[in-house]
Amino acid sequence: MASATDSRYGQKESSDQNFDYMFKILIIGNSSVGKTSFLFRYADDSFTPAFVSTVGIDFKVKTIYRNDKRIKLQIWDTAGQERYRTITTAYYRGAMGFILMYDITNEESFNAVQDWSTQIKTYSWDNAQVLLVGNKCDMEDERVVSSERGRQLADHLGFEFFEASAKDNINVKQTFERLVDVICEKMSESLDTADPAVTGTKQGPQLTDQQAPPHQDCAC
Amino acid sequence: MAEEANLHSLQELEREEILQVLYRDQTVRNIEEERIRKLKIHLQHLRWKGAKRVSQEYKEKSCARCQRILGLLLNRGAVCQGCSHRVCSECRVFLRRTQAWKCTVCFEDRNVKIKTGEWFFEERAKKFPTEGKRETAGAKLLQSYQKLSKISVVPPTPPPLSESQCSGSPGRLQELGQFKGFNKSMENLFLSVATHMKKLSKSQNDMTSDKQLLATGPRQCTGQSERRSQSDTAINVTTRKVRAPDILKPLNQESPKCPTNPVLKQEDLSSSPPPNTLFSGGLRHGSLISINSTCTEMGNFDNANVTGEIEFAIRYCFKTHSLEICIKACKNLAYGEEKKKKCNPYVKIYLLPDKSSQGKRKTGVQRNTVDPTFQETLKYQVDPAQLVSRQLQVSVWHVGMLTRRVFLGEVIIPLATWDFEDSTMQSFCWYPLGAKAEKYEDGVPPNYGELAVRAKLVLPGGPRKLQEAQEGTGDQPSSNGQLCLVVLGAKNLRVRSDGTLNSFVKGCLTLPDQQKLRLKSPVLKKQACPQWKHSFVFKDVTPSQLRQASLELTVWDQAVFGVSDRLLGGARLSSKEDPAGGTDSCSQSKLQWQKVLSSPNLWTDMTLILH
Repeated sequence: MASATDSRYGQKESSDQNFDYMFKILIIGNSSVGKTSFLFRYADDSFTPAFVSTVGIDFKVKTIYRNDKRIKLQIWDTAGQERYRTITTAYYRGAMGFILMYDITNEESFNAVQDWSTQIKTYSWDNAQVLLVGNKCDMEDERVVSSERGRQLADHLGFEFFEASAKDNINVKQTFERLVDVICEKMSESLDTADPAVTGTKQGPQLTDQQAPPHQDCAC
Repeated sequence: MAEEANLHSLQELEREEILQVLYRDQTVRNIEEERIRKLKIHLQHLRWKGAKRVSQEYKEKSCARCQRILGLLLNRGAVCQGCSHRVCSECRVFLRRTQAWKCTVCFEDRNVKIKTGEWFFEERAKKFPTEGKRETAGAKLLQSYQKLSKISVVPPTPPPLSESQCSGSPGRLQELGQFKGFNKSMENLFLSVATHMKKLSKSQNDMTSDKQLLATGPRQCTGQSERRSQSDTAINVTTRKVRAPDILKPLNQESPKCPTNPVLKQEDLSSSPPPNTLFSGGLRHGSLISINSTCTEMGNFDNANVTGEIEFAIRYCFKTHSLEICIKACKNLAYGEEKKKKCNPYVKIYLLPDKSSQGKRKTGVQRNTVDPTFQETLKYQVDPAQLVSRQLQVSVWHVGMLTRRVFLGEVIIPLATWDFEDSTMQSFCWYPLGAKAEKYEDGVPPNYGELAVRAKLVLPGGPRKLQEAQEGTGDQPSSNGQLCLVVLGAKNLRVRSDGTLNSFVKGCLTLPDQQKLRLKSPVLKKQACPQWKHSFVFKDVTPSQLRQASLELTVWDQAVFGVSDRLLGGARLSSKEDPAGGTDSCSQSKLQWQKVLSSPNLWTDMTLILH
């Protein structure tokens, strides 16, 4: 997908130093669960039903304004296909947060969540923040994984959970924003424990100021 | 087109696509690095603003940040919880919604940690302590291309190539084709790299000596090192990694239907080229670091008549363990090229005895001046305990045409006597530049630290048996014993710039028949004075064999990914005359060794000087 959209990158993402900090996020999950669509919806607000398999890795940059801070997100979209696994896992270490995605109409993609989670545990840092996302929740007729199962698995793995649809733009923005928030929380935590002088005081980027978006599943 | 060709071209396209992504990522990274550099400079300035100056009475109570005099009753100042310095009310930042505050520097320090993402790297280091801080998978992948394609000298900024160089790439490929394990698909990979390089901007003017670079021979590496030094982004050597090359292998070797094992294949690493010839990316701020100083360290440089002085300040922050050398200016330097009256000076420093590339810091190059102003701060992370054993070597160099460097003078300051607590020592001082110090005086081998060992010759029957054995002809089966050696620890090793080492010891016992018994200790990570307390047992050796044998103990610093461990020093124990030996320390260790052999079943402690 990268080469097709090349001209679109460049100016926008280069030269722009106008942000407070940068987070790196990785989207992982089985092939064809909709990772690329999810990212395109979020970054470009576009959707194409055609399936184009991602080659290796790709990324998009989006700067958001959250809790009085401009946060530049470098969101890495990974190929779900097994054959690119060595490349994609190399990116785990640089990621502060993960979106682990499955397709609610595809049992296999849901069953693979456990394995993906293990991959994160293996290759990423200990405090990696993970959101489990069941994509394609617009396709209720073909649903094979119930919301309840998704939520249970997320609870079991200690992840937060969303059902989303890149096609209908449901919960896409919320997912990313929630992930940014939990990374921010981890950041404050990490700095405060490292700094005994301020233990107990919530400070720095006051991320708790704003209400966390409600934990909603897709209503459709 | 035949189906196979199609498949092949598809894979090539894949590489192309991934490369596109990698280059885009590189652009993003460069912006990020630049932003981070600015943030750090800002913090640096804040810190320096508060540094006590000589002119000021230290005893006078003043704000540690703005130097304002503090009163006895009004504006008495208060102690910052973060740094324990007393600061005035102006220099406090109240944390949101709390009564808690920090001084401006502590606040900024935290801020910078957030903004630079430093917090994440610190957290990650808990799980992956060897991971380079800012090195990303993308950088590594890209480097692997660049390394393999020998465009390794390209600085991290998008590397522009002139047309002539690109047209030269087939020749380059041909040359590369002679490397072992170089297959067809790799060539395609390089071709694609070359195409990509061509696409990138075309402003790099110091690529002119590229042709020369392709020629093999001693000048090749000097050319590289010059190129690197001139790039305005620094290269982080400490995070050298060579894992990347095999990450891309699946693309070259496997068809889409053949799944790849997700586990990275580490065993392939050994096939990577030696690190000295590699380009390592990842950026570091504040100083220029090049991979190797082949030209300046191997004596391949010209000497100018040394004149002039250099002004710098040395400070040490006990809190952050950071040694800061602020290079301000030079005056009255000799011309690097006397005839042309040309001088492009830069300053390079080492914390001796560490002369490794990791320990090098450089300023930028000032053009056409013998009175350059640098105003650059070069930093080291050094343990306070380490300081006493270090010497700061500050040398000035001229960057000549092509590869030539000209030595303009140096100053060596032993830090052992430096009082870092004394504020008068922190001020800028002019130091006269001197000629290059001799490598080591009068043929005395360098001392690279000491290794403490304890040795015992274990014989089955105790001392009496030994006497029998000695009286006998020698190789009696009954006298077979073992040599036990406990490697206790080492100190004063040539540590890395961060004051640590991942060190291990190799023992090699060479028997009279040239049979070699080798043993190795485990690696002790992150320690400057490692205490391995590891025992080597060389079994089935006889005293007579040992008298003819030699034992070599070498201390190594493990490379990050085990590609090329760095030899820190070694010692040789032998009762034979060592043709190369003859110095005091050698004969001393010889005596100790003889003591081990002559008093079986008793431990002998030895301290070996590493050479």
